[in-house]
Amino acid sequence: MRDRENTGGEEREKKPYAESPIIMTSVRVVSPFVLTYGIFVTLHGANSPGGGFQGGVIMASVFVMLGFAFGIRPTSDWADYRAVLGLATGGVVLFAAVGLVALPLGGDVLQLDVLPIAVKWGVELLEVAIGMIVAGVVTGLFFVLSRGGRKEGEEA
Amino acid sequence: MTFALEIALVVFVVVSAVAVAFLRDVLGAIVVFASFTLGLAMIWVILQAPDVALTEAAVGAGVMSVLFLLTVARTTRTEGDEGYLRPVNFKALAIVFVLFVILLATVPALPEVGDPNAPAVQETVDGAQTPYGVADDNRTPYGYYIEQTPIDAGIRNAVAAVLVVYRGLDTFGEAVVVFSAIVGVLVVLRREEAR
Amino acid sequence: MSAMEIVAPALVDVFVARYYHVTFMVLVAVGLYILIDSKNLVKKVIGLNIFQMSVFLFFITAAYQDGAGPALIEEGGGPYANPLPHVLILTAIVVGVSLTSLALALVVRVYEEYGTVHEDRVEEVMADE
Repeated sequence: MRDRENTGGEEREKKPYAESPIIMTSVRVVSPFVLTYGIFVTLHGANSPGGGFQGGVIMASVFVMLGFAFGIRPTSDWADYRAVLGLATGGVVLFAAVGLVALPLGGDVLQLDVLPIAVKWGVELLEVAIGMIVAGVVTGLFFVLSRGGRKEGEEA
Repeated sequence: MTFALEIALVVFVVVSAVAVAFLRDVLGAIVVFASFTLGLAMIWVILQAPDVALTEAAVGAGVMSVLFLLTVARTTRTEGDEGYLRPVNFKALAIVFVLFVILLATVPALPEVGDPNAPAVQETVDGAQTPYGVADDNRTPYGYYIEQTPIDAGIRNAVAAVLVVYRGLDTFGEAVVVFSAIVGVLVVLRREEAR
Repeated sequence: MSAMEIVAPALVDVFVARYYHVTFMVLVAVGLYILIDSKNLVKKVIGLNIFQMSVFLFFITAAYQDGAGPALIEEGGGPYANPLPHVLILTAIVVGVSLTSLALALVVRVYEEYGTVHEDRVEEVMADE
């Protein structure tokens, strides 16, 4: 038994994706700045508000914007979401590596002051790892939730 | 002036939440929910939590509403039969009202908003507890973070210092939770390619 | 003058001075109402999020004090908001969006399986099969 009164969603899905020149142009102009801002926020968490969680989400919102302007299907093909998932995995591995490298240097897990670099740079390194995880995961969630589970060739 | 702004934001947030509850159109509810989170992000700025505000604005109004929209695009939009608003469910309202009154009874025991004597903002308390027993210098965790952040970490943002230096293992756990969420979503949704 | 007339204005002052706490409680109530009342699973997830964000409000309010700046430590500066609740809520927001999307993925699967996201109709379909 299928829901007869609630077919609105399926009808909308069948419509071809409509390209809007206004949105496409503005996203084209704005998205490099948003990506730069995301990287800026990730790297300037030490002395001003910001950090990996905030910057990662801002970076991920670039892909959301691109998905809205150019269609989610082309965007996820272009971004190749295996690479996106690799970014998230790389972040987890980087975080764990920074945590574990303190052990042979005589510290505890994630003890940053035994590293050969200043604590500030250890903080920045972990912020970058967090940024990678958050950006990769949120972008991946966007792509998977929009097309995952569909058969190949079905339009998003 | 700030107080008037705060009251306006509080009213806006509460009205948005109530509107979400009674809108029948799920699409409309999502849009109102996005404005709800944007209002909350402004409240975080007033309460001097810029880190939280940045995240909330990007996540709540941006990413989260997009994820809801994608779900609605793949399922159905309306809830129930006709009309803009849902009827009031008095049984649910009664349960919720009981909870609300019970919660309200705890209000007189809480510190006032902005009270400088509130326990969470004391730098020293006699007999302050740490995981290793009573602190020698009576410093609370708050006092410790505020004083030690520039010394221990050489940075100014105490939020980043607590996040990475003092509570790094917690943050690692959170990051793994976030990572396992996408693994879970892939398990739930990507069965076609697995076949 | 009856006791009520003395107590009532004082009690109102108590609540007015704790307006964010009262807001937190109102939002908890609204979130729970959506969870109970809504039959649409997507809307239940929205209600869960409103519930969650009201708890964020409680934490951030606890961290605040009058005249405080954000927790950016400067020589001779202060007072500061407590950074610890900020950290907890910062991570909770990001974990929240991850868990929300997992819930939404499950909703999408329920729709694919049963053709509806209406709670009662899902049960009807399950009974039919």
